[in-house]
Amino acid sequence: MLTALDHALLARVLSRALRRGGDFADVFFENRLAQTFRLQDGRIHEASSIVVRGAGVRVVVGQRAGYAYSDDLDEAALLRAADAASLIARDGRAQDVVVALDAAPAPALYDAHAGEPADSARYVDLLARADAAARAFDPRIASVNAFVADELQHVQIASSDGRVVTDRRPLVALGVQVVARDGAQRENGYVGDGGRTSIDVFDRTTPEALARESARIATIKLGALEAPAGELPVVIGAGSGGVLLHEAVGHGLEADFNRKGTSLYSGRVGERVASDLVTIFDDGDLHGERGSVAVDDEGVPGQHKVLVENGILRGYMQDRLNARLMGVASTGSGRRESYRMLPQPRMCNTFMPAGTSTPDEIVGSIDRGLYATSFSGGQVEISKGDFVFMIAEGYLIEHGKITAPVRGATLVGNGPDAMTKVTMVGHDARLANRSYTCGKGGQRVPVGVGIPTVKLSSCTIGGTGRG
Amino acid sequence: MADARDEALALADTAIALISAAGATDADAIVEIGDRFACEARDREVTKLERSRGRSLRVRAFVGTRHATLATTDVSRDGVAALARRVVAAAAFVSENPHAGLADPIASDGVCDHDLGTVDIGVAARADEEKIDEALAMEQAVREADERIANSDGSRVRDSVVSWALANTRGFRGVTQGTQVSRAAAPVAQDGANKRIGHYGTAARGWAAAESAPAVALHAVHRALALVGARKPATMRVPVIFERDAAATVLADVFAATNAANVVLGNSWLAERIGERIGNERVTLVDDGRLRGGLGTSPFDGEGTPTREIVVMDRGVLRTFVSDVYWGRRLGMTSTGNASGGGGIAANNFYLAPGSGTLDDLVAATERGVLVLDTIGFATELASGTYSRGARGIYIEDGVPRYAVDEFTIASTFGEMLAGIDGIAGDLRFDGTIVAPSFRVAEMTIGGV
Repeated sequence: MLTALDHALLARVLSRALRRGGDFADVFFENRLAQTFRLQDGRIHEASSIVVRGAGVRVVVGQRAGYAYSDDLDEAALLRAADAASLIARDGRAQDVVVALDAAPAPALYDAHAGEPADSARYVDLLARADAAARAFDPRIASVNAFVADELQHVQIASSDGRVVTDRRPLVALGVQVVARDGAQRENGYVGDGGRTSIDVFDRTTPEALARESARIATIKLGALEAPAGELPVVIGAGSGGVLLHEAVGHGLEADFNRKGTSLYSGRVGERVASDLVTIFDDGDLHGERGSVAVDDEGVPGQHKVLVENGILRGYMQDRLNARLMGVASTGSGRRESYRMLPQPRMCNTFMPAGTSTPDEIVGSIDRGLYATSFSGGQVEISKGDFVFMIAEGYLIEHGKITAPVRGATLVGNGPDAMTKVTMVGHDARLANRSYTCGKGGQRVPVGVGIPTVKLSSCTIGGTGRG
Repeated sequence: MADARDEALALADTAIALISAAGATDADAIVEIGDRFACEARDREVTKLERSRGRSLRVRAFVGTRHATLATTDVSRDGVAALARRVVAAAAFVSENPHAGLADPIASDGVCDHDLGTVDIGVAARADEEKIDEALAMEQAVREADERIANSDGSRVRDSVVSWALANTRGFRGVTQGTQVSRAAAPVAQDGANKRIGHYGTAARGWAAAESAPAVALHAVHRALALVGARKPATMRVPVIFERDAAATVLADVFAATNAANVVLGNSWLAERIGERIGNERVTLVDDGRLRGGLGTSPFDGEGTPTREIVVMDRGVLRTFVSDVYWGRRLGMTSTGNASGGGGIAANNFYLAPGSGTLDDLVAATERGVLVLDTIGFATELASGTYSRGARGIYIEDGVPRYAVDEFTIASTFGEMLAGIDGIAGDLRFDGTIVAPSFRVAEMTIGGV
């Protein structure tokens, strides 16, 4: 398997890319092999293999970027891509590029043996165990769909400043979706996990445990009430509640929106944007996490970033292009879905560290409200900061006690407004299961989220029942 | 462009030979070769320029009745051969499945040059400089349209020429081609301390058929300004009007429930309801794979099944699910020609049949309600049919738009929404593969203050 391109070739491609001028150029090479097995209706439905292999050439001039990719990796094809990318530059000052022969190795962030393919029988066994456990959980489980995926992505990034960096990124995932049925009513549940590690992780996080959790969520919803509509206090459950941070704050702190001034957080570093209980980090360097990258897709090491500290906005997530224009360093946030796309500033693992309250104190402080224990995803509009996130499992809170389950609903809010309404933060910080993927500008990348139990003094709930 | 089509068909033939040599008893291969151009302007500068040719191959292999797939961007003979051996080996771990297999033999017409209006020769011929100038002109137009437009996320102009070929071991060989162009703008209005971004874009098979650059720019400006001064509405149950693009997102969720795979797997609120009245008698849903010039139009689908016009819901009565070969066999029906080239089941040109009149007529007929211009959030409750989204729009009283509203939710069930559609405008346009005219739902829950 081809894992890197020749350094002398890369130097020639970079020189060609800069022949019309430009601030810098880079080449992103990728060779990714993924294998997936799928189970449906109690049988292994399909095996699939995917190869994503090619290289993209970028030329950057100020805020301008030219880009072209090639599936062919011979010199002629790469030079054609360099020519196409160079059209963005107009000043005509050619630059020679020397690429360092000593490639900077990416920091070790993944298990040493991760990425080595396992026997197919192991994947199939994981799926069969998930299926059996989900069906055994409750006779109302009508359907089980599960997948296990194992991929290894080799990347190599060569930049006209002479650096060549490689990374070898493993990624595994196992997901179990069930449908529970009672008469005409159907409800679904989904739980997944994995990370940048090997499938040995499922010896510890067993398929049985994931399947039972998925089945539990689906069956609870069968007897659930309609969620209320309107404003109520809301308790955000630890773990997957981190989707709140990703939507309400995270996207708005990506550097492209802030450099262009289209985010509501533009120009507000140093200002208060949340209650003083709110601290938010984005970490690219957590060992084995789904959103981690030893180096990002521009060759910059993944790192720990303080986004918000005690309610004060501390900084943005930067890629190379935006960092140059804003006069700061890249934060290792330049990510892309594949060699066919330009990098964008993106989140890695976004989370809030622990506070001091107990979950019982938080729930006990609410006379009437909603306890949303898990979330399936969300979306944000970054200019005003309105966001939604979808409750996968929720309960009413009545007189300080958790009572009846409610069916799925959307929560809607405004970023800084919601963050100002964080009035209690639990001591139980944890990362969610490793199953989230973030979409931006048509590009999907794996991410992580996490949060302790948090109280929002008020949030709008999009159900149909009485609040 | 005949060369890209020839290349695609030759690569598909080669892939079939390689997967057969690796041990597959049956197989089909799809090759896509796309030439894509994209430019973006912001203010007075060209900020992005992209031009590339990409090739991709997808092979479905059957080893007896065991099913495996491979997809790759490495279409070299060695690359495909290595992957073919790998996936055939993996197929041994797949269960026997009597429904798995290729489509029943279909008469092949070799090069399928049905004139379905999928190619506009003007797309490949147009100079990049003209497209770049158009993006710059859209930026100028949004700046000059209104003094409240203070910024822009950029104007984009794109085009593509895509050839794709399908070959299988039962003798089907077909190749076709499609062009596509798009224009989009994203101006930002300053609204006191708030910013309001307006997204608008359009797509078509050719430049002349697409909405013009000035029209796209002004439409985007209108969207940004429409929300200036928005406030949160009260929690209430009122009629909700979905403007065309918001209506299309509802229809996309309805399509997912008609997808035969979701139906078989119990992940659809429409399962087991063929022949039942689901919608109001105004509601007719059609998928037309042969709509002339449609963005989802193709002579055959991803398995070689000829496309056709399917009435999915006829005046409110559910008539059929939408299927490929495998999930159709599971339901005892034939493929409706909706196998996606990338795997799975996809819409060709899926639409809600238009009524008459305009969006303004729907507003004028609404005593008290909300016009939804935009929704955010995803369909996660396909099994139960629960609908709940974030929304932005305009509050209506006495048939008149009163003020902008945002930061609220709209909720109901898909069943109640389709049964409650009591007005459909005539403003249908085929600028996507799932489209709808503006429509009104008699009552939904607004979650606000």
